[in-house]
Amino acid sequence: MSADEKKSQRGPWYLLFGLAIGLGLGLLISWGIAPVTYTDTAPVSLQTQFKDQYRLMIARAYQANGDVGRAQSRLALLGDPDPGAALLAQADRLLAAGDPDQAAAALLALAEALGEPVVYPTAVATSTPTAAATAPPGGRPTPTRRPTSTPTAVFSPTPRPTPTPTPTLGAYFTVIVQEEVCNPALTPGLLQIEVQDASRQPIAGMEIIVTWPGGQERLFTGLKPELGNGYADFRMAPGVPYAVRLLPDSVPAASDLRAPTCIADGSSFTGGLRLLLRQP
Amino acid sequence: MDRWIKFLLAIAAGLALGLIYGWLISPVEYIDTTPETLRADYRSDYVLMVAEVYHREGDLDLAARRLALLGSQPPVQIAAAALDYGLSAGYAPLDIALLQELATDLQTWEPTGGGRQP
Repeated sequence: MSADEKKSQRGPWYLLFGLAIGLGLGLLISWGIAPVTYTDTAPVSLQTQFKDQYRLMIARAYQANGDVGRAQSRLALLGDPDPGAALLAQADRLLAAGDPDQAAAALLALAEALGEPVVYPTAVATSTPTAAATAPPGGRPTPTRRPTSTPTAVFSPTPRPTPTPTPTLGAYFTVIVQEEVCNPALTPGLLQIEVQDASRQPIAGMEIIVTWPGGQERLFTGLKPELGNGYADFRMAPGVPYAVRLLPDSVPAASDLRAPTCIADGSSFTGGLRLLLRQP
Repeated sequence: MDRWIKFLLAIAAGLALGLIYGWLISPVEYIDTTPETLRADYRSDYVLMVAEVYHREGDLDLAARRLALLGSQPPVQIAAAALDYGLSAGYAPLDIALLQELATDLQTWEPTGGGRQP
């Protein structure tokens, strides 16, 4: 058999072999050496823990600007099938973990604004805030690479933020009513706070800082909805002066608040105070 | 020699097919990404959220820690980049003012360490 006959017997296999080598090299380059890099990702592709932080920031921003439309647009970026349910689920997880930063209230307030039936746990209303000691998240995880045929996250449209936060940002709350409450049926030293906006509507989710010499506590309105969406309370110790500040105000709305001594039926007891705070 | 040329052409064809498949048809997709990789408009909106909350809370340390979610750049740079984007994208004046407030305050911010989670 001549050399030419041998070559013709080999057939086109060498071509297929070359094609396979080239294909392998191509995949090696495109998947391994120089893969498509995603530098312009969308929030929908974030890792779960970062989605949680993003969602919490949306809720906190909602507390700051009161703009439900903007919050909804932002939540849509996360791609949750049911944004309200996602907020509730995250609040549940935080509460189960003790909620050291009292973030659940922000999530619940936004969930409620989205029409979710929210039941505020009393633990949120009465728990004493801790001094915040959780470290920020540790090392960043490496993105997981996965070949897929639908890189839709990169090209998803970006909802533009709605243009108007609430116009009264930064306006100080003022005391409209401050009165002693001498009712022996109430908790001794109960400081009852009601917060209203300029149109006299109760404001839920307002953060209130109560301070006294050597301590402070953070409250949120709306955690006892049976008493009103703008209601929050705090138990004062006898003889201790307290100050009440509503965030974002930088100065207290009321100070030197003390539990009064009341007299009824010839006996004395520690009464409470009622404060009505309103935004001008 | 003719066979070698055909062989090399086959390799080139295979290479081209592999690249087309790996870059276009089925490219590597990153899931579980970090906020550092977010597109500029998403990053700017996140910074705007931080600015909105900062305007309310006044806690610059906390705002800086929240911005750190977007990467290892100094917070003031992150805020300045968002402000630039906001100006170019036509953000509302109130939003620009919030970003400006945050960026300005961060220029004199010194980290104090510790603190709360975002």
